[in-house]
Amino acid sequence: MTTTNSNPNQDVSMKTIFRRRTMMTLVGVATLMVAPVACNSDDILTEHPKDIIVADNLYTNLAGFEAGLNALYFEVRRERFGQANDNNNILATAYSIGTDNGFGLYLSPPERLFSEFGMLNNSQNLFTNAFWTLMYQTINAANTIITRADNPNVKWTPEDKARVVAEARLMRAWAYRHLTYLWGDVPLNLEESSGDNIRTDWDRAPRDSVRNVIINDLLFAEANLPAASTNPGKVTKAVAQHYLAEMYLWKGDNAKAEVEAQAVISSGLYKLITARYGVRASQPGTPFTDQFIDGNVNRTQGNTEVIWALQYAQNVPGGGASIMRRSWVTRYESNKGMAVSVDNGGRGIGRLAITNYGLNLYGPTDVRGGQFAIRRFYLFNNPATLPAGKKIGDTLFTVVATEKVMDALRPSTRKWDWADPNDVTGDAQYGDQPYIRVAETYLLLAEAQMKQGNPGAAAATINILRARAGATPITASDVTMGFILDERSRELVTEEQRRYTLIRTGTWLTRVKQFNKLASPVVQARDSLLPIPQAVIDANLTKVMPQNPGY
Amino acid sequence: MSMLLAVLVAPQIEAQQITVKGTIVGADGSGPVASATVVVQGTTIGTLSDQQGAFTVRVPGPNVSLVISRIGYVRQTVPLNGAATLTIRMTRTTVALSDVVVVGYGSQARSDITGSVASVKPERLEEKPNVSVSQAIEGATPGVTVTTNSAGAEPSIAIQVRGRNSISASTSPLVVVDGIPYYGNLAEINPSDIASIEILKDASAAAIYGSRGSNGVVLVTSRKGSVGKPKVSYSAYTGTQRIANLPTLMNAQQFADFKCVRIRTSPTQDCSTTLTATEKTGLANGTDTNWGRIGTRDGNQMQNDLSISGGSTDTKYYLGGTVLAVRGVALNDNFNRSTVRLNLDQVVRPWLKLGTSTQAARTKRDGVPVNFTTAFFSNPLISPYDANGNVILVPWPEDPITNNALENLSVIDNDQNKRIFSSNYLQADIPAIKGLSYRVNAGIDLASRNLGRYFGRNTQTGLTAGGMSILSNTSRTDWTVDNLLLYKRVLGRHSFDLTGLASEQSNNLETDGLRGQGYPNDVLGYRSNLPLLLVPGDSVVQSKLLSQMGRLNYGYDGRYLLTLTSRRDGYSGFGRNNKYGTFPSVALGWNVSNESFFPWQQSVDALKLRFSYGKNGNQAIRPYQTLSQLDDRSYLNGDAPAPGYIPVTLGNPNLKWETTLSRNIGLDLSMWQGRMTATVETYSSRTSDLLLRRSISSVQGISSITQNIGKTANKGFEMELGIVPLRHGTFEWNTNLNLSVNRNKIVDLYGDQTDDIGSGWFIGQPIDVNYGYVFDGIFQAGDDIAKSAQPKAKPGDVRVKDVNGDSKIDALDRTFIGSLQPKYTAGLTNSIRFARVTFSTFFNTVQGVTRSNQLLGTNQVFTDVRRNTVYRIYWTPETPINTYPSNSNTSNPLGVPFYEDASFIRLKDITLSYDIPSDFAKRFGGESLRLYVNGRNLWTRTKWTGLDPELDAQRNVPLEKVVTGGLTVRF
Repeated sequence: MTTTNSNPNQDVSMKTIFRRRTMMTLVGVATLMVAPVACNSDDILTEHPKDIIVADNLYTNLAGFEAGLNALYFEVRRERFGQANDNNNILATAYSIGTDNGFGLYLSPPERLFSEFGMLNNSQNLFTNAFWTLMYQTINAANTIITRADNPNVKWTPEDKARVVAEARLMRAWAYRHLTYLWGDVPLNLEESSGDNIRTDWDRAPRDSVRNVIINDLLFAEANLPAASTNPGKVTKAVAQHYLAEMYLWKGDNAKAEVEAQAVISSGLYKLITARYGVRASQPGTPFTDQFIDGNVNRTQGNTEVIWALQYAQNVPGGGASIMRRSWVTRYESNKGMAVSVDNGGRGIGRLAITNYGLNLYGPTDVRGGQFAIRRFYLFNNPATLPAGKKIGDTLFTVVATEKVMDALRPSTRKWDWADPNDVTGDAQYGDQPYIRVAETYLLLAEAQMKQGNPGAAAATINILRARAGATPITASDVTMGFILDERSRELVTEEQRRYTLIRTGTWLTRVKQFNKLASPVVQARDSLLPIPQAVIDANLTKVMPQNPGY
Repeated sequence: MSMLLAVLVAPQIEAQQITVKGTIVGADGSGPVASATVVVQGTTIGTLSDQQGAFTVRVPGPNVSLVISRIGYVRQTVPLNGAATLTIRMTRTTVALSDVVVVGYGSQARSDITGSVASVKPERLEEKPNVSVSQAIEGATPGVTVTTNSAGAEPSIAIQVRGRNSISASTSPLVVVDGIPYYGNLAEINPSDIASIEILKDASAAAIYGSRGSNGVVLVTSRKGSVGKPKVSYSAYTGTQRIANLPTLMNAQQFADFKCVRIRTSPTQDCSTTLTATEKTGLANGTDTNWGRIGTRDGNQMQNDLSISGGSTDTKYYLGGTVLAVRGVALNDNFNRSTVRLNLDQVVRPWLKLGTSTQAARTKRDGVPVNFTTAFFSNPLISPYDANGNVILVPWPEDPITNNALENLSVIDNDQNKRIFSSNYLQADIPAIKGLSYRVNAGIDLASRNLGRYFGRNTQTGLTAGGMSILSNTSRTDWTVDNLLLYKRVLGRHSFDLTGLASEQSNNLETDGLRGQGYPNDVLGYRSNLPLLLVPGDSVVQSKLLSQMGRLNYGYDGRYLLTLTSRRDGYSGFGRNNKYGTFPSVALGWNVSNESFFPWQQSVDALKLRFSYGKNGNQAIRPYQTLSQLDDRSYLNGDAPAPGYIPVTLGNPNLKWETTLSRNIGLDLSMWQGRMTATVETYSSRTSDLLLRRSISSVQGISSITQNIGKTANKGFEMELGIVPLRHGTFEWNTNLNLSVNRNKIVDLYGDQTDDIGSGWFIGQPIDVNYGYVFDGIFQAGDDIAKSAQPKAKPGDVRVKDVNGDSKIDALDRTFIGSLQPKYTAGLTNSIRFARVTFSTFFNTVQGVTRSNQLLGTNQVFTDVRRNTVYRIYWTPETPINTYPSNSNTSNPLGVPFYEDASFIRLKDITLSYDIPSDFAKRFGGESLRLYVNGRNLWTRTKWTGLDPELDAQRNVPLEKVVTGGLTVRF
């Protein structure tokens, strides 16, 4: 307020001073009021999140892109975990049962879906919809990495960039492979989603186009992935080649399939486990089963057979969890005299099981069907419930009875045995797991050889597996598609994405009708493709998305 | 409280019977007060004042006191001190047209209000076992829906003003406590300290809060001191809580029979083969566990409240302390609250005043309540306890994945919250301009929550994890600074009231969490420093709001009123392209009864017409919602963590507030000196730019995105009617009825009039609908099933209505079932006073609601029947009912839900109180003493067969009946 400084010569009437005072007061007050607003309000209102990751901040350097890739591996691991990222309804149900060698031992919705089909196989099925959603989430995550890798401001070497994009494209192929096996023609989304490119007019791309996208992604991965990695969980060139072999077989490019499968096998990096090794080498067991034991799974742990190993760890952030044992092993402890134990591999709740066809495929000397691979007997270990006339340590034989639900005496696989000694009945398991083994690559090679009219070579390829397993060798005349499918089951039961193999070879419906007692009366041709989720059809507001036939 | 006594004539000292003459007038100069009750204290001698406010009473001596009371006025005790003639000035209490009402950034006489401002009657706040201020609002005013979503020691309560205009954003009103926006749990404010609650319902009233106004505004004002000697008030109550209702679950034998029928493979199968060994033992031993009962107890509720208030013309104070303890009906469900409040107003200089309203609160919610979802599903053949009465970890060994419902009793849980909420002001008159003043409001809200929880190996979670701890510290630091310029001037017949605001608000919520697992033992619980794994979790949520607001209230001759308001809000959470929004409104009022031509001056006290129109916003965008976010999906490199992130949300830089344009027409009427009052209002609103989490094709990897799309509309009618049907001598009956009708509908979703079936949103329908397959009876043995729409059904299966008649059942057969939107809601208060006894009841009702009853679901027991459910009669060939299917996993393959009428009438509160004669109270040095009993939720009438028609989840903590008894002493 500076009115007192006015020139004394100037005639300043009281009225003027009063007016000035009023003015100054008003200005002063107005300044006070506007002050908090005026100091750069745009800055005040700009958000600087401190605790969340946003895309623009993450994909700026190699570490950020690696974090993006790690999430893709997490998604792969989800196959062997529950529908809601929890301990129930393992997603692997979708390709494991409702096949010739797998059926639902239980009556929860996912098992019923693949045993009863019919009305349960509908477009609102939460389980299959969850599977679909996970795949497209993975695809968007991969697309984001692929798109943002072209940002010229990212600081990295061209080699790093190529390898990152190769991993992302392989993962995208992994997701589309699941999708097109399960749903056939599916929408192709190859761009990062943003608020600006929401679409309501998706088309379903023909299965062949989807396969070509998969193949292109895999070819890029094959060209740009390293042959080996010091990180035991990382995908390598062989993973791309293995999947390429399978895709070419599906397309009928058998010669290309042979080249890819052969590339893996003759790389010199992979060979079958033929001798005992690892953490339990001194205990009873077989070379074949050694490779499934936690501590033996990774290449760094002496496993020469594994091509892709899923990584788990207990009590480590990012350590994940799997429910393979929980899902595949029966509730054996509900038999009198039995209790859950580490020796028995931990607790199962018998959701998924191997059919009689799958259990009865083995010759007497085949270790893949023997006690170390499939539980043929238990030893009584629960004094509290011991049946009359039995003592601890007596044998309780499992029984291959006609398939029925909740059969606690049924043999189950031991590939996924794992128990925490401090929590024997725990739900989840935290041991590493083989995801792709070169044994399967051999089987793809054999199939390619057979389909090119070379059963002799196919028999020789198969005999490599049979010799390791202690099974009797076969001859060229034994080699048929049916035999290869049997051999795949013998080698890969509970590992194989069986439904996909049968779909790929066009044998799904006939073999389900033939071997799956629960599903055979109800399964129909339409069930070879799952219905597109209703929410996806409903969200396609401006274009009709056709449903798969029969739904 | 101003209580004035004027002695006009020198005392006449005579023995025994004395005639006292008096006149009762309104303290606000409103003239004589008729029909007031005058009683000689401690006797039944009494009379009523006449139309001129005059009364004559013969009293037994010169030193007795008169108790003067009248509905709508503060009850007062006047010592005669020998006087034979007196003038008594009474102050109004309840809402009447002459009250001063808090309207936000100031207050106004009710007669000057142009918008829709509802006041909660003070009796809803007094002598009721309110844990939260929200409970006082339930059913109390029209247009405000308060729903108890879940019961318990601290019920979860939702407030909604004038229906739902937002589909996915918040529908909760803005809560303002003593002028400062309040976020978080209202149960952390002590209801005993509250003087008034106002609800701003229409666009004009709420426009002062601009982008936060469209859901209405709840203004909570705490008690202030008043001039006079210090007044001390002590009140206390204690009471019990009991379960209001438990659905009838199957008992042991019923469950065994049910299980047998459900899972046996042939009708001749021996039922004992369907039971597991433990179940068989349970059946043989007569185990019959009523899990619902076992999980509950007789709860109790207790409160002690002491306050002192008073002041001089320059200093006014209120100091109050309250301790509340609630033990809910669910085991381990506890709520404790202690608060201290100091409200102080000080005139520093004639032109300068300042003050504070500050509450410090500590709330404790120790203990994890029994899991009622598990309890409702638990097997009655299984006991939760071992032979020694200890809770068993796995009560049913054959089903080891189902936890003991009582397991939470073993969890160590310390959960305490400390909060200081302080609203302060400084107001200075600006010299030179008469009527102009400057005010600054500074509010601060400092809160912290400390949670320590430990799951030992006596819990499933703890066993799996090797002991698991959860530590979480949350701290809230919110502040608000309002700069206000106020100008109030009356020039002849013109009155002006101008308010200018510049405000900045900052909200900061920070949580540091730590989860530990793999402890060597359970000895130290979460205080052990030796877990194998520690997973930190951290969150920081910050937002800023910059606002300017202007309001003009203009009145001409007390007849014509005009309110113009506009607020401009800038909010950090809005997308970067839309940071600021402006919200203008206009309102007009006409006090018809003040017109000289108004013909019914004798009977009509006041008649006012109101109209308003304006725009409000709903700011409800969470901070950072406009950015593309990624979530943690970490993996491993060997056994080392490898951080991973995956896109989970799609950003949208254009995201902004929702806009509601609304119109309100109201009429206020008061007749026969307030013997009848009525407010009738009708409104309509249209909301656009809805913040919609729109379902998008999951092909994009993310299944939804938030956009400003879609439109809704609401219209409604509200009425509040207060009548004094009977008043005679010391008998008075008051009744108050409020009624609300609201209809909302979706006008558009994505701009193309397309329904969104996936989200359950349909054009032209209310936002909340029941949509799905329709139950159409049961297939019977004689039906031609093969030719029906479900050719594979069996007799006893649910027949699904073939809505479109195409002879097959598919998604096109889904349709609308009943209405989730009430036809109307109402509240009815009756209060009858006879001499010293007051009896009051408060009913509220919600009518015309249809909901699916989860308890009637057919497929809830798991295929191998590991869960219990309610007892039902099932279809069998012998009892071919048409209402419920056969007892089978497959009899309802589409899971068609069963709907019921969820309308109800509830006796929410019933209170009986008694004023002890004052000579008795005086023996204890008191001025007055009142005793009361209150019953809450004692009676409910409904057709609903579930837990409770008001609660969301039907397998949850049951609603409680509360009976309390208490006293209030004033000194």
